[in-house]
Amino acid sequence: MLMPRKVKHRKHQRGRLTGPAKGGTSINFGDFGIQALEPAWITQRQIEAARIAMTRHVKRGGKVWIRIFPHKPVTEKPAETRMGSGKGNPEHWVAPVRPGRILFELAGVDRELARAAMERAIQKLPCKARFVVRAGTHGAGEVEV
Amino acid sequence: MAEFILSAEPGRPIGSRSARRLRAEGRVPAVVYGEGVDPVHVTVQGRDLRAALSTDAGLNAVLSLSVDGKQYLTMARELQRNPVRGTVIHVDFQVVDPEREISAEVPISLVGETVELHRADGVLDQQLFGLPVRARPADIPAHLEVDVSGIVIGSVIRVSEIALPEGVSTDLDPESIIVAGQPPRVQEEAAEAEEAEAAEAAEGEAVTAESGARAGEAAQAGGSSGSSEEG
Repeated sequence: MLMPRKVKHRKHQRGRLTGPAKGGTSINFGDFGIQALEPAWITQRQIEAARIAMTRHVKRGGKVWIRIFPHKPVTEKPAETRMGSGKGNPEHWVAPVRPGRILFELAGVDRELARAAMERAIQKLPCKARFVVRAGTHGAGEVEV
Repeated sequence: MAEFILSAEPGRPIGSRSARRLRAEGRVPAVVYGEGVDPVHVTVQGRDLRAALSTDAGLNAVLSLSVDGKQYLTMARELQRNPVRGTVIHVDFQVVDPEREISAEVPISLVGETVELHRADGVLDQQLFGLPVRARPADIPAHLEVDVSGIVIGSVIRVSEIALPEGVSTDLDPESIIVAGQPPRVQEEAAEAEEAEAAEAAEGEAVTAESGARAGEAAQAGGSSGSSEEG
């Protein structure tokens, strides 16, 4: 599973997820992608589950890019513990995602197979997401205003 | 040269709040700039802009922009979109000189069926999706076609192999790769996963064998008479 090798601070504050993504909103490597439509914390397990769902459906051929990384540690207090005594222990890692962010990319397979594989991967994610294709590669008739 | 005539209104208020109000009315905030021209903040109708950029020339269309009675020959440059809705939220119009070369990015479209590559379960890896070119505005092609029908695993198509139209040049390294035939990667991953599973299973077996051995030892210690009988 994805997780940082070394961190500057073991515990983070939660922060807020307001507004759309500022970057990582276009398909840069593959031909197809999954785009988040809601803000969410995507855990390392969810990223891995989505990746496995996608690669198992594609079977052969195809190349997958993961465009997010779980940099943020999430802490939890042990069960049946009284409040206080400081912040809990780091338990897992998440990638904070804003609407518009491309989560995964896929190349080397036809459109229908890519759609089916990515629809399966979307089922593993905690937010609404959609299948998107690379735009502007053919020039005419693809501009949306 | 096919020019699309677009009318723009100058004198729009600056700022995100007023820009949001303009967008709600169906107008797109824009700016016009270029060599020897003072920047002008304008708005254009979203519907007209869509029509102007949906012609055969694509995003590199030469637009005749009419601002307050003045005509500017422009091209749409920086096109900012809402990442979720896909609507254009701002556009830059650069004033161009029809006789001077400018730089532009032309999309590369792949043509042909990669029969040989598919037969070998290979993957077509497109590494360059747009080619930066230098040409006069009227000479900029809408797109460049690259024939990938002859590509196999290990072969590549480089920038030098593209036939550029007359009057069009590129500053990109001619050895830059546009597309490459790659061996399948998911197969490798699947093989790795299988190996990992096999390793886990072997580990599990080893653990069971070890625990079995321990149990045997315990049994041996508990009933030494039995073992002696066997011996």
